Amino acid sequence: MEKDKKLSQKNSFEQALKELEDAADRLESGDLGLDDSIKEFEKGIKLARYCQQKLEEAERKIEILQKGADGEIKPGRVAVKSDTGEIEDDGELQGSLI
Amino acid sequence: MGIDLKPNFYTVSGINALIRSEVENNPLLGNVWVKGEVYNLTYHSSGHIYFTLKDDSASISAVFFKYANKNLKFRLEDGMKVLVSGGITVFEKRGSYQLNVLSVRPEGEGELQKRIEQLKKKLAAEGIFDQSKKKELPFLPARLGVVTSPTGAAVRDIIKVALRRYPNIEIIIAPAKVQGDDAAETIAAAIRELNKPVWKIDLIIAGRGGGSFEDLMPFNEEVVIRAFADSIVPVISAVGHQIDHPLCDDAADAAAPTPSAAAELAVPVKSDLVDEIEYFKTRMTNSLLNTYSGYSTALKNLVSKRIFRDPYEILNSRQMMLADIESRMINLMKHRVSSEKEKILRLPDIYRLQKKLLVQKKHDLELLVQNLNSLSPLNIMIRGYSIVIDKNKKIIKSVEKLKQGDNIEIRLADGHAGAVINSVKKEI
Repeated sequence: MEKDKKLSQKNSFEQALKELEDAADRLESGDLGLDDSIKEFEKGIKLARYCQQKLEEAERKIEILQKGADGEIKPGRVAVKSDTGEIEDDGELQGSLI
Repeated sequence: MGIDLKPNFYTVSGINALIRSEVENNPLLGNVWVKGEVYNLTYHSSGHIYFTLKDDSASISAVFFKYANKNLKFRLEDGMKVLVSGGITVFEKRGSYQLNVLSVRPEGEGELQKRIEQLKKKLAAEGIFDQSKKKELPFLPARLGVVTSPTGAAVRDIIKVALRRYPNIEIIIAPAKVQGDDAAETIAAAIRELNKPVWKIDLIIAGRGGGSFEDLMPFNEEVVIRAFADSIVPVISAVGHQIDHPLCDDAADAAAPTPSAAAELAVPVKSDLVDEIEYFKTRMTNSLLNTYSGYSTALKNLVSKRIFRDPYEILNSRQMMLADIESRMINLMKHRVSSEKEKILRLPDIYRLQKKLLVQKKHDLELLVQNLNSLSPLNIMIRGYSIVIDKNKKIIKSVEKLKQGDNIEIRLADGHAGAVINSVKKEI
């Protein structure tokens, strides 16, 4: 259920980007009158803002799942070197969840 | 008696040439399979591969030339047990021989390969590799799950590429062993873990860096393949390989030849998307400005038209036209009236003329009647003439028409009388 919602959200970025392109195409076609052009423009700007928000939604973080002493699996945040992608202090990490 | 031991001398070159000829022309040595372990492996910059093949008690040099090794599907490693095919060649200059390698197979690969094929057939029959089961990859995965060793090259490559492309992406690593006997179970467990809704994963990359055929074996295990196939979250298989791909590639929703390539497949370049959005915005803004200035110019042109600039001018010209038509109409009417009036004024003259004509006609008529009277026979008879007509009312103009006893009628001016002819006498 939650996954479905998530999926549709993801699709909605792609959908919004496509609609944004359509809006630009329609505006460029010259088929719209001034009033419709302004409406289309406002719609496009809303879509652009929505897409930009979507792009910023994720919060940069790298987490690694680890199994606690109680058997519960929890995420732990790790630092990485962004030039190499190397996880710092990986010596203490569990190699698997089993 | 002496034995004639005639020593047969060879030069060094000569003996080496003879050995070479003997060896290289021997069909048994020209095409052999040799089993052994790889040692002293050198990948030379020329592209040739040099190594020593050995077993417990012996070794032989081997050269794997570039033309032959270009189809090698894996990377040779020291200590690797291999099955080599090739021919023995002699290096005359040094008096040494070597194995000229044409192909190399990991020993035992044949058996494993057979097992993989059987598994593939079985799982294919279940429909696990069906195209219809493939899920579409999300366009913008905000949370990326990664299943691999937390210490291997693969996780570094994935993180590096993903962050470069999408700096604020969230990556959740589910650690797994990627080689060894228990690796397959840990990989499957990690995939199952990331499928739990609590982690909100949009896309999973599962794999490892390249390795030997045996290293990649966990990704050919049934438990891993099933985990790939059963994943509700889309999975990209990211097992480093060159030609032979592991079975999990077929069960994944997408497959990449390396972990880096998988990250590129999974994560869009954020700056491209930002640029794309900006590009659309610019296009929209320019279009709107164009449309606006188009209308604005049209409006200006319209406003600058004469009708708007000086509306009276058109009115004036219309008024002038109207006045012109009016005066023409008036003139026309005046002309008509005066011409009619003239006709009326001329009417009495016509009347007089007509009257005169009438008098003239009357006079003519009187003259005519007079003439007619003078011509009438009655007028002549008044003067004493008479007319003789026969019984057929015919006028008799000669005595020759008469004979004695004929009854005639004599017409006089005032009546007539019957008579009988007594005599007839012609006088002329």
